[in-house]
Amino acid sequence: MDIDVEREAPCLVACPVHTDTRLMVEHILEGRYEDALDLLLEANPFTSVCGRICHHPCEESCRRVKVDAPLGLRQLKRFVVEATTDYRLRRRTPIERTRREKVAVVGAGPAGLTAAHDLVRAGFGVTVFEAGPEPGGMLGTTIPRYRLPYEVLREDIDDILALGVELRTECAVGRDISLEELRREFSATLIATGLSESRTLGVPGIDSHGVLLALPLLRAILAGGGAPLGERAVVIGGGNVAIDVARCARRLGAAEVTMACLEAREEMPAWEWETEEALEEGIELAPSWGPKAVLSAEGRVTGVELKQCVRVFDEEGKFNPAFDEAETTTLAADSVVLAIGQAADLTCLKGSSVKAGPGGRLEYDAETMGTSERGVFACGEVSTGPGAAVEAVADGHRAARAIAHFLDTGEVLKQPPREELPAIGELPEETVELIKARPRVEVARAPGETRVEDFSEIERGFTEAEARAEAQRCMACTTGAFVDEERCVGCLTCVRICPFGVATVTKTAAMPEEKCQACGLCAAVCPAAAIALKRYGTERIEEDLKRLLSEADASSSSVLIVSFCCLFETTSRKFLDENREEVAETGVARVLVPCVGRLSVPDILAPFEHGADGVCIIACAEGECLYPTAEERLGARVEQARRVLEEIGLHGDRIALWRTQESAEVSWTAFWEMSRRHLALIKAEEQKEAQ
Amino acid sequence: MIVAERKPLDEIKRFIEGFERVLVVGCGGCATVCLAGGEAEVKIVGSALRIAARKEGRRQEVLEDCVTRQCEPEFVEQILVRVKEEGVTALLSLACGVGVNFLAERLGDIPVFPGLNTKFFGATAEPGVWVEMCAGCGNCMLHLTGGICPVARCSKSLLNGPCGGSTDGKCEISPDVDCGWALIVERMKRLGTLDQLAEITPARDWSSSPHGGPRRVVREDLRELAAEAEENSAAAS
Repeated sequence: MDIDVEREAPCLVACPVHTDTRLMVEHILEGRYEDALDLLLEANPFTSVCGRICHHPCEESCRRVKVDAPLGLRQLKRFVVEATTDYRLRRRTPIERTRREKVAVVGAGPAGLTAAHDLVRAGFGVTVFEAGPEPGGMLGTTIPRYRLPYEVLREDIDDILALGVELRTECAVGRDISLEELRREFSATLIATGLSESRTLGVPGIDSHGVLLALPLLRAILAGGGAPLGERAVVIGGGNVAIDVARCARRLGAAEVTMACLEAREEMPAWEWETEEALEEGIELAPSWGPKAVLSAEGRVTGVELKQCVRVFDEEGKFNPAFDEAETTTLAADSVVLAIGQAADLTCLKGSSVKAGPGGRLEYDAETMGTSERGVFACGEVSTGPGAAVEAVADGHRAARAIAHFLDTGEVLKQPPREELPAIGELPEETVELIKARPRVEVARAPGETRVEDFSEIERGFTEAEARAEAQRCMACTTGAFVDEERCVGCLTCVRICPFGVATVTKTAAMPEEKCQACGLCAAVCPAAAIALKRYGTERIEEDLKRLLSEADASSSSVLIVSFCCLFETTSRKFLDENREEVAETGVARVLVPCVGRLSVPDILAPFEHGADGVCIIACAEGECLYPTAEERLGARVEQARRVLEEIGLHGDRIALWRTQESAEVSWTAFWEMSRRHLALIKAEEQKEAQ
Repeated sequence: MIVAERKPLDEIKRFIEGFERVLVVGCGGCATVCLAGGEAEVKIVGSALRIAARKEGRRQEVLEDCVTRQCEPEFVEQILVRVKEEGVTALLSLACGVGVNFLAERLGDIPVFPGLNTKFFGATAEPGVWVEMCAGCGNCMLHLTGGICPVARCSKSLLNGPCGGSTDGKCEISPDVDCGWALIVERMKRLGTLDQLAEITPARDWSSSPHGGPRRVVREDLRELAAEAEENSAAAS
């Protein structure tokens, strides 16, 4: 292993736009929701959308899965968005145009708008051409509102438009304006028209009345219409669009909805959680069945005949289904919806020399993102094929880089289709056993039968307390202990104290980052002060004290307390934000630490140097600490610090150690009050002794 | 390693009373390993002294530093420079006695005070517990005693023990102290060399120990090299 390579948290690596979700969680814990939003929007202008419908590869890769369940990163992202609505409006500022060149973007979906966002921010002029009446692409026209309310999508789009992106809706390129005209008027053109059409099937009876295509149907439903599908609907297909159609069918009043797909249940391409939700809503699955014929009477659908599918992919892994024609079944149906795949609408190419490519998509170079014509680029599903929203965003970013480079240099830029980053290693089994399990915070959804009554959103966001509880589960990958080899004397103290068996010493200590849980117990006792922590660095306490305390507070006659508190016990931001004025008023300076178990003796003594009269340490509630032995170790260090005070003639119990009861908001104020009274007595006593 | 223990802070406080600018110097060698005088302990002592000065309303500046080893001329050079440049008026060394001596010889008119009590040459018996295992007597006889030192581990340093004060493997001075000779006997039983103890060890010449006056060790090969290098550099300049 090359130790010089900086490794990233797996959630960041897995995210197509490399959102630093680990840092987002840290910001949430520290109550810096606005910083979290900045971070999210920097990586992904479709943050509101992804907080609702992202397929969250970050969660799939979360190392916590070995301990209990992955972190609910998608919901945390949604929480950040919902907690910062005012701030988000305030941070909107138009970007000054600094470049003469203009870029035309065809299609206002996530890929096109992301590219527009990036290019405007780079100083270019950008105009987006959208055939439909509203921007958003498939997100706005085909993702059902119960998953993604339109106003949520609009939050992202309005942010992008506010930068100064010009949007021309109801302007279909190839019909209202030609691609060649755009090429003349703009320095570069980006085609990001997506895959907006549904594929159809060549089986007998397909032209019967009541056979519908998924995407036009979804568009009609989202536009507020949608033909009634009758009592019994059959959806052909096993992907996410099929699921959307089936669930919409239930909401439109179909009592029996069956999804028939070629794939076996476990092979179904739809996200598993969506399939589960569909089942909750009473949808039947008919896996491993392919359509043989649509049955009809008097030109109207009466059912569908299915044949057993025995294999979907051949030995080479290619889509090549095989059927047992003898094994058939029939499903009665009033309507049949085809959700078997998507195709591009290449109307925009009409009259232009830009070439179509294989699969009815565009001819395209995956590395340069160029089409067959110089200065015309493509991104998103129209070039990559079907993908998730966040993948379209990632492709939009790439396209913006390619175009900016082209406009800067006149040259094409080669970029790998996906930037692979090195991730830290797997969590070893022996470490897994030592990590305390904590159940994932789940948000209960309404029961399936009530959900199908309308199109309202089926999932609520986290409350602040839920978000904070979930954020505490983060194992803070990559932010653990690291050793300054110059200082390390190989004394083995870290090895002896580490509760996770991480530290080893050969000549000097080493803390492999795939094992370290960032508890900080080793740093607190290292006699050479050779161990530092990346998260809440060792210098932070000193900085916080300097920020919060001034000589004036210290010299006042009232009691001044520094309270080191366990960050993990807060259920709101109430105690997280603080300034000097507040300290002067309350006499309590709070320093929130991700586990007070990491406080060293110098940390505990430092407030006295800054003029504090007492230190009030508030640990987590009984048995709540994430880190084994941390409570006992802290107790021993508090005793050591008390002895130091006594040796210099101060009362040892100027240092108080409390345990949170219930939550910070419930108990901390009482602890501070008790400490304040106790310190007033001690001060009086010491003054008496001095006289 | 050399094992030491921090002096009580009220004692340290008295040493440095009246000095305006005190530099606390740790040692990255044995004193760090035995958790008595490393970088972290420097911070604790420095912090405690500043708190005390603040509380007592004294004007005293307490600075901190830590060197790789306080027993090497090259490593202490940075301290000598700081003392001069920053107008340090007294030093508090958190090294073993060697470090204190070594600095004292180099500090001209600046006093250096010991922050530690130097205890013994020892080893880690268990985390947080160090025990004496060598007395540095200068004439090792461990080959005769199964590798267990009677000089360091017998309370009387008997060469032909045990004495009558040994009961159930413990020394009469305290039930917490093993009888060094009981350990030797047990060890030699295991080695099958117990019969060697029948031979009386004659009274030894203790002049190799501290009783013989300050000791020194010389490695001529290194010394010559150093002298040569010095000559060369003199010639070059």
